[in-house]
This record gives sequence, C-alpha cells and structure tokens, in this order.
Amino acid sequence: MQDAIEAIAEPHRREILRLVRDDELAAGAIAAHFPDVSRPAISQHLRVLRHAALVSERRDGTRRLYRARPEGLAGLRDFLEAFWDERLETLRREAEREERKKRHARGRRN
Amino acid sequence: MPEAVGTEPVVKEVRIDASPETVFAFFTEPDKLTRWLASEATLDPRPGGINHQTHPGDMENPRGPYYMRGEFVEVAFPSRVVFTWGFENADVGVEPGQSTVEVTLAPDGNGTRLRLVHRDLPESERAPHDGGWDEMLSRLAIAASGGDPDA
Repeated sequence: MQDAIEAIAEPHRREILRLVRDDELAAGAIAAHFPDVSRPAISQHLRVLRHAALVSERRDGTRRLYRARPEGLAGLRDFLEAFWDERLETLRREAEREERKKRHARGRRN
Repeated sequence: MPEAVGTEPVVKEVRIDASPETVFAFFTEPDKLTRWLASEATLDPRPGGINHQTHPGDMENPRGPYYMRGEFVEVAFPSRVVFTWGFENADVGVEPGQSTVEVTLAPDGNGTRLRLVHRDLPESERAPHDGGWDEMLSRLAIAASGGDPDA
C-alpha cells in the first residue's frame, strides 16, 4: 500500500497510469506523451509503477508493453487504514506540542 | 438492489503524551483540527451540530478539494466524540451521513490512549467501473498529499 501511495505521489506517474488505463502501450509511446521528460526518467517511472504492482509489463519482441493493473490499487478500507495512520500520527505530534506549551505556561505561572 | 454489506470497521489505537482534555480539543476546535486533519473546518460540537471539513486533496487533481460533510453524534468532553463522515464529492464514494467515526479517549498515565473506529463503510469492491480507477487515484493522492502537513 505504501508503495502504491509513493508511486502515485509523483504527477508524471499518475499521468502514465491514466494513459495505460485502457490501452496497453509501449514504453516509447508513453514517452512520446512527455516531450519534456527524458526517456530514462520515463523508464524509471515505469519501474516504480511496476514495483508497486500498479502496471504490468509484457515483452513483445524488443518492445515492452505496459498496462494498468486496477487491482493493484487498494480499496476504500485500505485507503482509510493508511489515511488514519498518517493523520493520527500528525495528531499525536500536534497534541504533544500543545501539551508541552500548556505545561510550559503553567510552569511560568507557578 | 441487494442490501449493501458494510466492510469491517477500520480500528486504530494510538498513545499520545498529552491529556485527554488536550487531545479532545483537536476534534472540536477548528484551529486545532486544521493542524492535523483538514485545511478548513466549521465545527458545532454538540449532537446534531455540523462537522464540515475541507481536505485539500491533490494539487494536480482538478477535482479537489474534498468537502467532508459530517454531523456530530455524541460529544462527551473529554472522553468520547462521534461524528458522521461522508463527502460532497461523489467520486470519493462515501456519501454524507453514510459512515461514522467514533473516537474514545482514555487516561493512560500522564497521557491518553486514543481509539478510533471508522464504521459503516461502503463495500469497497465497486471499482473498477465507471470512474473507479480515477476514484482510487484520487483517494491515494489524498493520502499521499496528507503525509506531512509541515513539508
């Protein structure tokens, strides 16, 4: 799940996922959609997506073809597991900061 | 239409080195709730009072921000707060009033043991159908962008 979140945190990778959602595309065809991005960078993005199991890779001769794997994305429940983990960690940090501020203020009054 | 069977609730526990009174305020005061959960909040912490939150979503995603339209169900300072959880944005897949978040705060030494139960979630196996993929991307993007508010 964390792999998937990190994989799609990068906007080019989200765009790649949208490109290969309905069509299986060769790496070259994917790269052609991103004139401003180097070919090695696109290859790296594809590796990250494959590692996160968000795309599948198939070889056809010398070409590598990519297609999205919707099943690689977790459902709502998994999303919320990660969402609350992250938010509650922030809550813990902020509440502890607030508590230190209060204790400090009390200490000064005494 | 077959009756929807909810998924198992999401249950989280965390120990916080702060009193239940301090932690409780982070659920009921807008200037504190926006430090960890939302970018904007309108809160009327009494049963039936509104609990509206704006979640920024993802800058790259033109469909954000996400508008959480909840209602407080129980407000028992400083030990328990319950509110409904659902979104105005249809693509999130949880309608206003549909799911419920229950938060229980118990004293634990000098700190608090917080237990959060998010229940009545819709069946998640809707995707991938119309927009299911984009829906999932949007959800994940929220989680990704919510990683660290200080970053």
